[in-house]
Amino acid sequence: MAFLLRRLGFYFGAFFVAITLNFLIPRLMPGDPATRILLSLRGKLRPDQIDAIRKTYGFSGSLWDQYLQYLWRLAHFDFGISTVNFPEPTASLLFYAAGWTLVLVGAATTLSFGIGITMGIWSAWRRGGFFDTFFTPINVMLNAFTPAVVALLLWYAFTMQWPIFPLGRAHEMNLTPGFNLETLLSVAWHAVLPVASIVIVSFGAWHLGMRNTMINLLNEDFVLLAKAKGLSDRRIRNRYVARNAILPQITSLALSIGFVLGGAFITEVVFNYPGLGKFTLNAIQTRDYSFIQAQLILLTMSVLVANLASDVLNVILDPRLRSAGRA
Amino acid sequence: MHRLRLLTLLATTALTAAAFATTADAEVIIRIAPVHTDAHVENYNPYNLTGPHAYVQDFAYEPLWIDNVWHPDNDFPALATSYEVGADLKSVTYHLREGVKWSDGEPFTAADVVFTFNYAKAHLDFPIGYDIYNAEKDTGSIVDVVAVDDHTVRFELKTADSLARLNIGPVFPLPEHIWKDIADPVNYANPKVVATGPFTEVRDFSRNAFKLCKNPLYREAAEVKVDCIEYPQLSDNLQVIAAITNGDLDWATDGITDPEITYASKSPDNHYWLPPDAGTNLQLNTTKAPFNNLEFRKAMSMAIDRGTLVDIATFGLTTPAEYPIGEGMFYKDWIDTAALAPYQYLMTYDPEAAKKVLDDAGFVDKDGDGWRDNPDGTPIAFKMAVPAGWDDWVNTLQTVSENLQDIGINGEMETPEEGAWFDNIPTGNFDVYIMWTNLSSTPWFTYYSMFNPRSMVPGTLNEQAMHQMKIPGIEADLAAISATADVAVQKEKITSVMKQVAENLPVITLFSNPAWYEYSTRNFTGWPDESNAWARPNNPAGIHERVKVLLSLTPVAK
Repeated sequence: MAFLLRRLGFYFGAFFVAITLNFLIPRLMPGDPATRILLSLRGKLRPDQIDAIRKTYGFSGSLWDQYLQYLWRLAHFDFGISTVNFPEPTASLLFYAAGWTLVLVGAATTLSFGIGITMGIWSAWRRGGFFDTFFTPINVMLNAFTPAVVALLLWYAFTMQWPIFPLGRAHEMNLTPGFNLETLLSVAWHAVLPVASIVIVSFGAWHLGMRNTMINLLNEDFVLLAKAKGLSDRRIRNRYVARNAILPQITSLALSIGFVLGGAFITEVVFNYPGLGKFTLNAIQTRDYSFIQAQLILLTMSVLVANLASDVLNVILDPRLRSAGRA
Repeated sequence: MHRLRLLTLLATTALTAAAFATTADAEVIIRIAPVHTDAHVENYNPYNLTGPHAYVQDFAYEPLWIDNVWHPDNDFPALATSYEVGADLKSVTYHLREGVKWSDGEPFTAADVVFTFNYAKAHLDFPIGYDIYNAEKDTGSIVDVVAVDDHTVRFELKTADSLARLNIGPVFPLPEHIWKDIADPVNYANPKVVATGPFTEVRDFSRNAFKLCKNPLYREAAEVKVDCIEYPQLSDNLQVIAAITNGDLDWATDGITDPEITYASKSPDNHYWLPPDAGTNLQLNTTKAPFNNLEFRKAMSMAIDRGTLVDIATFGLTTPAEYPIGEGMFYKDWIDTAALAPYQYLMTYDPEAAKKVLDDAGFVDKDGDGWRDNPDGTPIAFKMAVPAGWDDWVNTLQTVSENLQDIGINGEMETPEEGAWFDNIPTGNFDVYIMWTNLSSTPWFTYYSMFNPRSMVPGTLNEQAMHQMKIPGIEADLAAISATADVAVQKEKITSVMKQVAENLPVITLFSNPAWYEYSTRNFTGWPDESNAWARPNNPAGIHERVKVLLSLTPVAK
């Protein structure tokens, strides 16, 4: 219990540092929203118009005043109004984008984990066999690919060269999303390429991790004992070895779930997918402080919560950790 | 087994998705994306320049007059049917169109125009665009606006200005009965569009797209062949070009590097035309050495291989500039080729001649480090800045840098992040910047932005006047142009301005950028093209001709 309390205190401290940095970093970046608008207008604005844009964004008060206001609003879950997508409340944009990111990155993480773990089990079980010697090097290679290249290649190949899949978006442009088959199919169809582009570069890591842990465990005495007892291969593989080997993978899964809300900005930008990564990138480019901050807080919270969850899980699952906490 | 099931599922999904895509729609809809956005928001404020203005200006809100920048004589009356410039050039009187109604049924009158001016005066942070006279600073031009009768307004000016109509004409009057109650126009989202133009009805709003549909009260509603403009959400160049390539967009004005291969070859309906647009110059910081030396600037200009810039650095999509006048050939009707011919040598690539100019002026390598130094012996080393990612201009400066190094000048390119690059413009903390020019229907505005001494105050430097060279002769000529209505005199003065630019070289002229223009004949025909160049064919905000182009299109019978 003391161990968990100490962890809780640590997370609270980390959260406070994070929200302070979160306030400072965007303000230390050069440039302000008004100069960014110029980008899209290359010289079509007069100076008084630029000043007007700057005023539209309402920068006022000292840094300290802004900080106090920021903390106050944070305590009330008020993220303010998006300056770039005026007059949309930042919270509504944020949750809209978070929803789509959960769909995209959530599906991709689940698929990567499922595919990677399954392949890891198989290649460890028959290590040196055809499956292992063929897929393990290929997956190592795929894992080393740059997401940007994969996303662009898939995008160019299957939307431009052979236009099978839609160019982008999360669903048909004129569809009002709802809980019905039409929405579901449209969303699934639009998610094929973006999800594939993430899965291709990420399932290899799960495969390797699972394979290595499995191989270590296969040399343990309890496996020999199980074999001696005459248990079926399938039972040994799935119930004895894989079940033990998956524990460290679950810890990493908890961490990557924490990072899901970071979005997949490359994939989202390439496929015009309305996720957090794309909105955050644009918010950074346009200095939409309220959005950047809200997104970073969301991300910080989800990472901390995921960490806390994995701590708690480990304490429950592993008695050794409990005694270490007391020492 | 599992794999087979997956394939079947995918195939079924594909078929279903295809079925959705072919939903019949009897309305004539044109799809354009005049501004990039990550998500649409319900803001239709015509003077919110962060994006909403791009959707409602011109199409919903009409100005008094639409200037035709390419063909100034062939301009378009809008809310006014005619105008007169006062004999003393100190007023402009507009005769407003009679019988015009706002889309909520209220009549449009002179009172709305007067209201808009007074509203602009009361809310100086709201960019309505009138050049309002400021007595304290003695800047600006329009002193007052008077309603002579219900359909006549007179703009009164501080000083004689024959060009004031170019500032007044494009302003969009606002309906007094709506805006008089709006106290904070900058932060007003204008949820209900009340305007006089052909498209005022917002429909089917979502973050992905919305439509701006026909105004039934528009005076020529019967002749409008397009039922709705649809604005799909697209967040960058790549997506806009992809969308028009695949036929998801009808009209685009986004940059494209290899139009023949990536775009035109994909469909016989995909067309493009890249007429010359704003010029590209090097802005030199003439407040410091070596750029304060005319001979040095001359040598720079002669050392640059503009052929490579046009053909290779900018992918062959730009157009050569022929004279060192700070602008390409956009104003070709104004260019007096005979008067400017003696300066053409400054635009000709001749590194040997450039070296000789430098040698003669004392720019030689004194400290033996392999680079030329200033005549006083201080070393020359400078940076030429372009934002990272502006590929054509990055290539350009790379070439320029190599050209300069060939003649012994240590000039390097730097690529700061965009924000930092913009932030440094007003400060004057720079050596060389690559820069666009401002276009208008007369070269006056281009040169006025470049040579107005008020724009040269460090701290508030304008990007056009970064060179900070005050040339009294040019200032006098520009003043003389706005003080006369005689076109012959104006042309003569413009030639004088151009000659002085060529003689002083405050900026180094490089080339003209293309006006990006891609269009699809899948749903509409009658687009302006090289043989039918009657108006600028671009659709971003600020190109007021865009509504005329849109209305001139013929829907393809389906």
